[in-house]
Amino acid sequence: MVDRGNPVAGMSQLRADVFAALGDPSGGTDAVARVCRACMELLHVDGVSISVISSTQHRETLYASDEIISRVESLQFTLGEGPCFEAFHTHRPVLVPELAQTSITAWPIFASEIGDLPIGAIFAFPIQHGAIGIGAIDLYRRLPGWLSEEELATALQLVDLAEVALLGRQSNGADGAILEAWLPHLPHSREEVHQATGMLIAKFSITAEQALSRLRGYAFVTGVVIEDVAHDITTRRLDLAELDN
Amino acid sequence: MNHLAYSGATRETRLLQAFVELTDTLVADYDIADVLHQLVANCVELLDADAAGLMLSDQRGNLALLASSSENTRLLELFQLERSQGPCVDCFHTGELIVVEDIAAAADRWPQFALRAAAEGFRSVHAVPLQLRRQTIGALNLFDTETGPMDPQDLRVARALADTATIGILQERAIRRGEVLTEQLQTALNNRITIEQAKGVLAHAGDLDMDQAFQRLRHYARSTSARLSEIAHHLVTGALQPQVILDRQPIGDGPSPRTD
Repeated sequence: MVDRGNPVAGMSQLRADVFAALGDPSGGTDAVARVCRACMELLHVDGVSISVISSTQHRETLYASDEIISRVESLQFTLGEGPCFEAFHTHRPVLVPELAQTSITAWPIFASEIGDLPIGAIFAFPIQHGAIGIGAIDLYRRLPGWLSEEELATALQLVDLAEVALLGRQSNGADGAILEAWLPHLPHSREEVHQATGMLIAKFSITAEQALSRLRGYAFVTGVVIEDVAHDITTRRLDLAELDN
Repeated sequence: MNHLAYSGATRETRLLQAFVELTDTLVADYDIADVLHQLVANCVELLDADAAGLMLSDQRGNLALLASSSENTRLLELFQLERSQGPCVDCFHTGELIVVEDIAAAADRWPQFALRAAAEGFRSVHAVPLQLRRQTIGALNLFDTETGPMDPQDLRVARALADTATIGILQERAIRRGEVLTEQLQTALNNRITIEQAKGVLAHAGDLDMDQAFQRLRHYARSTSARLSEIAHHLVTGALQPQVILDRQPIGDGPSPRTD
């Protein structure tokens, strides 16, 4: 349970819970659910969902808190448009505090389709890591209105945590303690980690996601922190062939 | 001390040019990453500074480097350190200009920072807050290889450049309400990650160091009138091949092997 009275302590407790959940046999599903429940508690929204997206055609909703947000997700998926796709493709949050008053050019069909649902405000946040698009979080409120400045800051921290949960989910079975050693820094890790990711992309003609995961895999196997592996790569001390699968 | 190369009238012309360039970029469909790189480059060219870096706060209140006058790894490491200790953090937390006339004399206050700065040959530093109304969103860091305060005239220019940057960051999208600020910083910080990833792609493909890779990326974006972070995104996702950028050789700049 997140401590609503103390957001900072609540967030660090949540962080610890998410890491613990990443190491458990559910393979990170519970970690994603925890982030979603925290969204409900801390952001005072009525519903939340998290989806992983690889393209407009390929997406999977991992968590939906109620029927309304499930309907929102399936409509977006069917139509191939909506705030969640917009956030994913523009790499920016899409914040619509007064849905009824807003004329939506980016997703007109979706907007008219959800007209019957009790949604006053909808907010979508991209989950991304540089050029790696991972997915999106959708939040809705029955009543229109902005997220407060504090809520928005909290929302972005939750998005960071969702990023950790989704990236961590791919390495299911990994020891939670090891993950904890480097994942907390992931969204804002050292420049060299991003640069090394880029070098692996060019070397092996793989996606950024695969490159980051290969970098992580190598760090796990050799027992070296990812920052040090990245440093050796960018300074050309480590032959990239070592990271060939 | 690069500005000493310019005498009176020439320097004034360059200053004017710098502001015109900045405001021009702000009127067009601009890329904040590009504007900020332009700004730190201007600082080093025009002010009493040998290196410049611009740091912004993320949603957790941590500082992150958004633009640096050089992508030299050791300089980036110094900025990295400044996330936790140094004049930049103090400037960000107090919202006040921090002047360190002699870094060596500040070793008690910031031991690690003083050590690393000295190792890079820096002897004084100024941290100028980026502020809108009462909110401080980051700081502009100006390093000099000589001790002593910055020329007051230069400091005024530095403040004006910092203000311009703040406006640029905040206006990237029309400001609807204060909340948008946090969101924009988040986007800018993520773009920075993409640019780092893109530098890596180019560095490997063209056997370049990170600074050269960045310059090539930027040159390509400018010469095609594209946004820097968009080009970076295309490069990282494979929509744009590194060779296309590498083939666009800057004029008067022959192929050069990496230096680190």
